[in-house]
Amino acid sequence: MSHQKAQSGITPYVSRVDRRTTLAWLGGAVAAGLAAGAGAVPGAAEAAVVAANTLKGYGTDPKLTHPDKAPWPRLMTPAQLQAAAVLCDFILPASADAPSATALGVPDFIDEWISAPYPAQVADRPAILEGLDWLEAEAQRRHHAVLLQLASADRAALLTSLAAKPTDPSLNKPHIFLWRFRALVIGAYYTTKPGFKDIGYHGNVALAAYPGPSDAVKAHLDRELKKLGL
Amino acid sequence: MSEPYDVIIVGSGAGGGMSAYTLTKAGLKVLLLEAGRNYDPVTETPMFNIPSEAPLRGTSTPDKPFGFYDATVDGGWQVPNEPYTIAEGSEPFMWWRPRMMGGRTNHWGRISLRFGPLDFKPKSRDGLGQDWPITYDELAPWYDKVERLIGVTGRAQGLPNTPDSPDGCLQPPPTPRAYEQFVTRGFNGLGIPVAAMHAAVLTQPLNGRAACFYATSCGRGCSIKANFQSTTVLLPPAMATGNLDIRANALVYQVDLDRTGKAKGVTFVDRVTGEHHSVTARSVVLAAGACESARILLNSKSAAFPDGLCNTHGMVGRYLMDSVGTSVSGQFPALENLPPTNDDGMSVGHIYVPWWGYEKQSRKQLPFPRGYHIEMGGGRAMPGMNLGAMLSASGDLTVGSALREDARRIYGSYIGFAGRGEMIPNEDCYTDLDPQVKDKWGIPVLRFHWKWSEHETGQAAHMVQTFLEVIDKLGGKPTPGYQTDGKQAISRGGEIIHEVGTVRMGHSPEDSVVNAYGQSWAVKNLFVTDGAVLVSSPDKNPTLSILALAWRSSDHLAGLARRGEL
Ligand SMILES: Cc1cc2nc3c(=O)[nH]c(=O)nc-3n(C[C@H](O)[C@H](O)[C@H](O)COP(=O)(O)OP(=O)(O)OC[C@H]3O[C@@H](n4cnc5c(N)ncnc54)[C@H](O)[C@@H]3O)c2cc1C
Ligand code: SF4
Repeated sequence: MSHQKAQSGITPYVSRVDRRTTLAWLGGAVAAGLAAGAGAVPGAAEAAVVAANTLKGYGTDPKLTHPDKAPWPRLMTPAQLQAAAVLCDFILPASADAPSATALGVPDFIDEWISAPYPAQVADRPAILEGLDWLEAEAQRRHHAVLLQLASADRAALLTSLAAKPTDPSLNKPHIFLWRFRALVIGAYYTTKPGFKDIGYHGNVALAAYPGPSDAVKAHLDRELKKLGL
Repeated sequence: MSEPYDVIIVGSGAGGGMSAYTLTKAGLKVLLLEAGRNYDPVTETPMFNIPSEAPLRGTSTPDKPFGFYDATVDGGWQVPNEPYTIAEGSEPFMWWRPRMMGGRTNHWGRISLRFGPLDFKPKSRDGLGQDWPITYDELAPWYDKVERLIGVTGRAQGLPNTPDSPDGCLQPPPTPRAYEQFVTRGFNGLGIPVAAMHAAVLTQPLNGRAACFYATSCGRGCSIKANFQSTTVLLPPAMATGNLDIRANALVYQVDLDRTGKAKGVTFVDRVTGEHHSVTARSVVLAAGACESARILLNSKSAAFPDGLCNTHGMVGRYLMDSVGTSVSGQFPALENLPPTNDDGMSVGHIYVPWWGYEKQSRKQLPFPRGYHIEMGGGRAMPGMNLGAMLSASGDLTVGSALREDARRIYGSYIGFAGRGEMIPNEDCYTDLDPQVKDKWGIPVLRFHWKWSEHETGQAAHMVQTFLEVIDKLGGKPTPGYQTDGKQAISRGGEIIHEVGTVRMGHSPEDSVVNAYGQSWAVKNLFVTDGAVLVSSPDKNPTLSILALAWRSSDHLAGLARRGEL
């Protein structure tokens, strides 16, 4: 079955979260009544979600110059994290000049996001987790294999069908999920140093004086303004 | 130093910091009581940190409502343990408070516009609102002094009711950014003049403070002291006089009177220990922020003042104002694929649009009586999580290299337009004490009453129309979600964080709480030097005027003290 296809599968995503941090979360999670190994036991994920909602955020006076890692435990199951990784690199694979989303740890960030105890993130949580579960189930349904171990052409076909504007109504929900997931990946990716470079953000460096726009920029503006009759 | 002090100042923000600066320099022994914790911008400001170093990429949360790196400590729209309420039937009201030394000057927007001559005489202008007991010319020398001390950019442009500063007051404004040069042509195409921004940011070194180095976000604070914060510009020189004691975490709730009816000091609760203390002084200055100064007066009840100190005529808490606000953003194809520019630094526009409709209003050709100015934001700011939404709003569900191209194309092509307009004081906007709700220490909290009038909603509708016109002129598309009905478009009361009034100055005890020097009519050694004393709320953001008034009032207080007249 699936292990026979292992050659065409992709290397599993290795979380960037270090062990010390995971242990700290476990401490917090146990204190909040969270079963260790959430997700392995039926119902544990739901229990974890309920417990997580009672967890606190980073508070109203966090240290800003050297921020602590987000203190809440992560809620994704290993399978969800892997599905997130597959999707991250479908959205932003490596290019000639820039690293992939997984190379920047974006899957862990999405886990941090959907696990956060704040209202906006709590609101994102069900759709993201359900979307990831759907993706895994769809791989099984279409190809009888786990997502990670699909033949690359099958995986690409599955993801591309999701990205296209759905004609099949059963794809509506997964498609909406993909929009939201993509927005999170974009935000997470371009707020890193490699992301800055790729998008063309050149700031955050001290300057002796503000130079103002270059001649090339002014020429571009003049051209465009002329087209607008201004 | 020992008690009694010459002066106790309550609050260390714009008004309190300015009072401390002036009074200590005048040689008076001062105790400054601040509800927030001590705060040091030099060591605590996350200058070059990027979003990926912060939880949730620095996104706003209820714990840090303006983002993780924003300087606000222990506050925002809610302060732990210190609730406020909204009266039944009132429109919404929002109250932004931090709990830190320097108050809101640590994360304010730094836009520093002088009120104009008309702004001091609104009632004489069109019969609405109330005239101030002072004229522009009377306050002008203190505007000059404040600009010289804190450092404000700008240029004389000769526009109506938008005063030019005398030579030597202002710092040179920076060249407009690319998108600002673009937008200027759009406004000019509509016949609307654009002006250099007046911002409390140094473009040249001043009094040992470095000039802005055009990087890092000012709302986080500035460790090199290039922008104005009470904690970097006012409190250190006040401290250096040797005449200042500061106590943090001191939440003042009452002004204490002696047998003759003069103020003898204040009582506060220590927010950390929960202990109550009284301290004494020959005079008291309230500068806890407009609403909180009113709260302290209302909570200071005695046989002589059963409804709260200085409230015999029911004037305390009245005429609460904010600025009118609304915004629309647009996406501009003309800015797509602009060669990358570095737009960092100063964190506000290098330009703004002063109100241009005075003539029309004097001829009654506009359906609303007072004006607004326009602030813009755009360019290639450090990317944040909102980039995802931006790309969702303006394209297809691309992935891979197509997505990378979209990102490069869309990034920097948005411009946001925000209006800030004058609100006319009305009888429906005020604050009083909630009859039931108390804070953690048992002290009654404020209850807000709010209602915008047609003067404001009509103005908000005009703002939206103007923004749509300029977006269209520049070939842009407005971001959906804006409202054209002024009642829907207008900000909530307090949301623009320019709440002023509540302890207004005036000509007599019947129409005001304090005189033209912030000195209370009822208790002559009690002064108010924050935004509470403002009589009107012109479109120009209030803080420069709060600073100028606080300096003028403190000069007056120091004179009275010197002559033994307090
Ligand atoms: C995000 C933001 C952007 C802004 N942008 C601009 C702008 O561009 N231009 C502009 O002009 N204005 C701007 N403002 C408004 C500006 O910050 C205020 O007008 C100004 O700080 C008011 O000064 P203040 O002295 O009245 O109050 P504050 O600066 O708020 O200071 C009051 C101080 O008193 C303390 N305090 C409160 N209660 C008590 C108590 N009971 N006992 C002891 N201490 C107490 C507070 O902790 C605080 O430190 C902005 C504000 C914010 C938050
Ligand atoms: S932009 Fe300039 S003034 Fe603002 S924080 Fe940075 S250095 Fe300071």
